[in-house]
Amino acid sequence: MSSASLFSVSDTIAAWLLAHIAYVFPPPVKGWLTSGDVVLGLTALIFSAILLGASMINVIVLIWWERKLLGRFMDRRGAMHVGFAGLLQNFADGLKLFRKDTVRPTQADELGFWLSPTAYLVTSLVIFAILPISTGWNGGSLPLTLLLALVIFSFAPLFIFLGAWASNNKYALIGGMRSAAQMIAYEVPILLAVVAVVVLAGSFDLTTIVMEQRNYWFWAPLFLALIVFLTGMLAEMERIPFDLPEAEAELVEGWNTEYGGMLFAFFMLADYVRYLVGSILVVLLFLGGWTLPSYVPSVLTSFPLAGIVWFMVKVYLVFGVFVWVRASLPRMRTDQLLRLGWMRMVPLALLSVILAALVVAAHCLPVLGCVPSMGG
Amino acid sequence: MAESGAQAPAPIPGTEQRPLLWVTRPLATAARQFAKSLWRPSTIIYPFERLEDPKFRGEVAVASGKPIGVGEIWDNYRGVHALNINTCISCNLCAFSCPDVCIEMVTVPGGDPKHPKKCPQIDYGKCSFCGFCSDACPEGCLSMTTRYELSVHKREDMVYSPARMFEVFKSKLPMNPIRVERPKNEDQILLDPPICIGCNACSRDCPTQCITMLDIPKPTPKPGEKLAKRIWKEPVINDSDCVRCGTCISVCPKDCLFWGTRQ
Repeated sequence: MSSASLFSVSDTIAAWLLAHIAYVFPPPVKGWLTSGDVVLGLTALIFSAILLGASMINVIVLIWWERKLLGRFMDRRGAMHVGFAGLLQNFADGLKLFRKDTVRPTQADELGFWLSPTAYLVTSLVIFAILPISTGWNGGSLPLTLLLALVIFSFAPLFIFLGAWASNNKYALIGGMRSAAQMIAYEVPILLAVVAVVVLAGSFDLTTIVMEQRNYWFWAPLFLALIVFLTGMLAEMERIPFDLPEAEAELVEGWNTEYGGMLFAFFMLADYVRYLVGSILVVLLFLGGWTLPSYVPSVLTSFPLAGIVWFMVKVYLVFGVFVWVRASLPRMRTDQLLRLGWMRMVPLALLSVILAALVVAAHCLPVLGCVPSMGG
Repeated sequence: MAESGAQAPAPIPGTEQRPLLWVTRPLATAARQFAKSLWRPSTIIYPFERLEDPKFRGEVAVASGKPIGVGEIWDNYRGVHALNINTCISCNLCAFSCPDVCIEMVTVPGGDPKHPKKCPQIDYGKCSFCGFCSDACPEGCLSMTTRYELSVHKREDMVYSPARMFEVFKSKLPMNPIRVERPKNEDQILLDPPICIGCNACSRDCPTQCITMLDIPKPTPKPGEKLAKRIWKEPVINDSDCVRCGTCISVCPKDCLFWGTRQ
């Protein structure tokens, strides 16, 4: 594991930049420019820029990944002409959306209409600031990172419903209603599944949770919780088979019916940001984060940034599972969805909490992924 | 609950006892499809791959009793024209027969400066691929091939010059073998002898060289009568060689040639 961290990298860049900028100024300004506060401020800016750029690029590559995978599931090829294997196709599509006009319906509420896509995208992006992707490669490390991430993650229905209501369109309104009902229904099993993980790890800090998986990844004892979490995440992300809020067959495009051009791009980007966050959470909570089992040869884990590489590989594979589900299952009805959420997922999640408690009580080490303790 | 009012749909057969199958069976199907198409989906990347490729060939389709391979084209397909410039006699019949007026006779190198060689140039923006031109061609030098790809970026590129169609000819594509036998025209080219001035234009321009100018006796003028100023020759048309193109009629300066039936 390399010792560099995102903070140290941005600190180095900021100090280097300021040292060169200060060179042209007279001494008093020079001294102020190279002082600790200014460097820290620029560090924070560079930090955010790197984080934003990396997450946006990942989001767009995620769209490419979904298109390619979905193509294979449907016996076709997906995007393939722009860039290597169509990698740049989504940049071209984004550029097209960027150039398009955004039209607001005359009867729509202006503030809500403009506010909701931006707020939806921003709240989704904020989560990246606290998600660790390797040791040291995270923004803030709080004792309650996991809870904070889930809280920000569950802001979404608010802004979706705001946009749907402000659109002043019946389809958008129905979609927004469905979205709110669905997201609230699936918050409960998700949080219960997370409780199981927290019971096993003994912490709400994501880095600690990953470190606690050094002996065995949590999916082995908590397979039930993993299933519940995956299902709940599918519902939270509004992906097929839980894409009722934007059921194209019934509601034109669901809650973003009235949105076009860049506003639609915001919603779409925010959706994929949420898919990425969901996949990252699955990897962090159940699949050992950036760690690999000890029987993996050290060649594979000792190169620079190995943690981040393996982490992203896992994230993309988890997202592949979401794509697999999308390619397989038809859309559910509202009553089926809510019955599944409240009557199947909640009891299963409670059961997995009990299982986690039993595991902790018995100190039982499962066979899979079992490695000798690293101490600490 | 919503289900109290709604009619419950009939369960999928075989899944009544095991509702989990409702989820696992589609997942398995999708995974199988994924594994099958992981290396090569069945999409044929058309401009880069074609069904004509041998790897896609398999005898399935049967047209008129003759089995052909997948992606092969029936040989009576009417596609882009192939023109054999060397045998073209510049008779203009293709342009006459074209119902869309898309054929223009353009000069090609190879003729002598006085009688430029003219070959058809086809505007595929207008062409309806009826095949009348290839039926009309007396020499069989204009025929239709199986080439069907006509997409171009510019409208001007839709116009195929004789040289371009000669390239098509040289690529040895299968030619449409079906050619309506052109009926021998009942009418023949007749001459109105008193008007003819023996100018040789018809003989000169005849694409098949079937007109020969024969000497006619110069009459002895009666006293007081002026002889017409003319060359004392008259065209004689070899009917078996004539392709009935009408070039002689159109070039005749005195309009002394006309269509008619010889008694």
